[in-house]
Amino acid sequence: MSTEPAARPPILRIEKLVKKFSERLILDQVDLAVQPGEVVVLLGPSGTGKSTLLRCINGLEEIQGGQVFFENRPVVANTKNVIDVRKHIGMIFQSFNLYPHLTALGNVMLAPMKVLKESRAEVEARARELFRKVRLEHRADAYPGQLSGGEQQRVAIARALAMNPSLLLFDEPTSALDPETVGDVLDVMEDLAREGRTMIVVTHEIGFARHVGDRIVFMDEGRIVEQGPPEVIIDAPVEERTRKFFGSILRE
Amino acid sequence: MQFDDNVAHYWRFFLSGTMTTLWISWLALMLGGAIGAIIAHMRLSRVGWLRAVAIVYTEFFRSIPPLMLFFFCYYGISYALGLNLNPFTSATLALTLTASSLMAEVVRAGIESVGRGQWLAAISAGMTPLQVFRYVIWPQALRVCLPPATGVYISTLKDSSVASVIGYIELTRSGLLIRETTGSSFDVFLIIATIYFVINYGLSLCGGALERRFRIVH
Ligand SMILES: Nc1ncnc2c1ncn2[C@@H]1O[C@H](COP(=O)(O)OP(=O)(O)O)[C@@H](O)[C@H]1O
Ligand SMILES: [Mg+2]
Repeated sequence: MSTEPAARPPILRIEKLVKKFSERLILDQVDLAVQPGEVVVLLGPSGTGKSTLLRCINGLEEIQGGQVFFENRPVVANTKNVIDVRKHIGMIFQSFNLYPHLTALGNVMLAPMKVLKESRAEVEARARELFRKVRLEHRADAYPGQLSGGEQQRVAIARALAMNPSLLLFDEPTSALDPETVGDVLDVMEDLAREGRTMIVVTHEIGFARHVGDRIVFMDEGRIVEQGPPEVIIDAPVEERTRKFFGSILRE
Repeated sequence: MQFDDNVAHYWRFFLSGTMTTLWISWLALMLGGAIGAIIAHMRLSRVGWLRAVAIVYTEFFRSIPPLMLFFFCYYGISYALGLNLNPFTSATLALTLTASSLMAEVVRAGIESVGRGQWLAAISAGMTPLQVFRYVIWPQALRVCLPPATGVYISTLKDSSVASVIGYIELTRSGLLIRETTGSSFDVFLIIATIYFVINYGLSLCGGALERRFRIVH
């Protein structure tokens, strides 16, 4: 997908977003638009506000300035409308957050049945399909506690997909994983990108950012410092801060 | 009336006392669980005055000795409100007040044991607050609450023996009456103590079993 002005309207539009915790400024005038089918990779030092930005997108945080529009609807925390918005936005967390009292299949089926009120048969068929997609068809009946981190994260991805979301938010999906299972999760995410899913991915996996990202957004101290295609932002950034960040990461 | 001083001949009386004790404690535990659950949610609410009411309720009723509560619920209420509560109603009320304050803390601990990530995941999936509680928080909290709830049942069972002071014929009161008839204190108290022990030890084993059964592997 390209980052040139698209004919289609953006699926997500963030304008002059300001987020404070008590008096501390966390996000400072953030502007961001995401086109359908685009994979945006959000990079930046920790404590910069990346997770907070994702939480503002699905209305989990009250904001102190600016606006967020998802599919042209305003996203405002603590309103009825925001619950509806969340049905269309899938979120994947660093710590998986699977429901430990339900099987993997139960995890995937819960929201479609209770939130979308779809029939069990319909949901189960779709869920089984998703387990194939994340390559875990043999683990559907296991409880989260019996799964490895990489397996849990793939179940979490299936759980998000079961809602047929039009936007997927990933918050450091591989940061809590053992190195040997990171690849399985990244492979699944790459498949999703190839299918044309719209995704915003916070990660420190530069390889993934480079090969899968359509656009890199580099953030520091609550601001977007610069953004553009991976080969520009990672290899030839303009800003000093961006250069320093990739300099230290790539040297590792 | 004929006197029979063989304690064993009063087994029906012991049995009905035991059943009464089990029943009134169970009733108080159920009512206390329901009220305690409401108090626990008030305590966790964002509304300041709801939290304040919950804290006062919990701290007050778990600090008052059961004897005071029985007197209050039996004599106090009839005196103050002109309501003539029978011993059963008064005893149930008194036991429920204590049990609910204990259950409030059990339920609160259960809900607080469910991590923030569970809320985030469920809310992000588009669930309403009630759905989050019903499908994600309560099922996990319940598993955490059950073992300590058997502890509350044990404590309520023991408190119920105090109901004998307002003339309610539960196990202890039955024993006291049998003692008056037979005159053999030692035998009677030994039997009663044994019954309490067997029940409470059994409950305690149940609590342990529940804990193993419902342990969630994270
Ligand atoms: N609930 C909160 N209350 C107060 N401060 C918070 C809260 N959540 C995050 N912060 C602060 O906001 C800043 C940005 O956090 P975060 O969005 O998690 O950064 P990142 O994901 O980029 O590491 C950090 O300094 C963090 O301490
Ligand atoms: Mg973060």
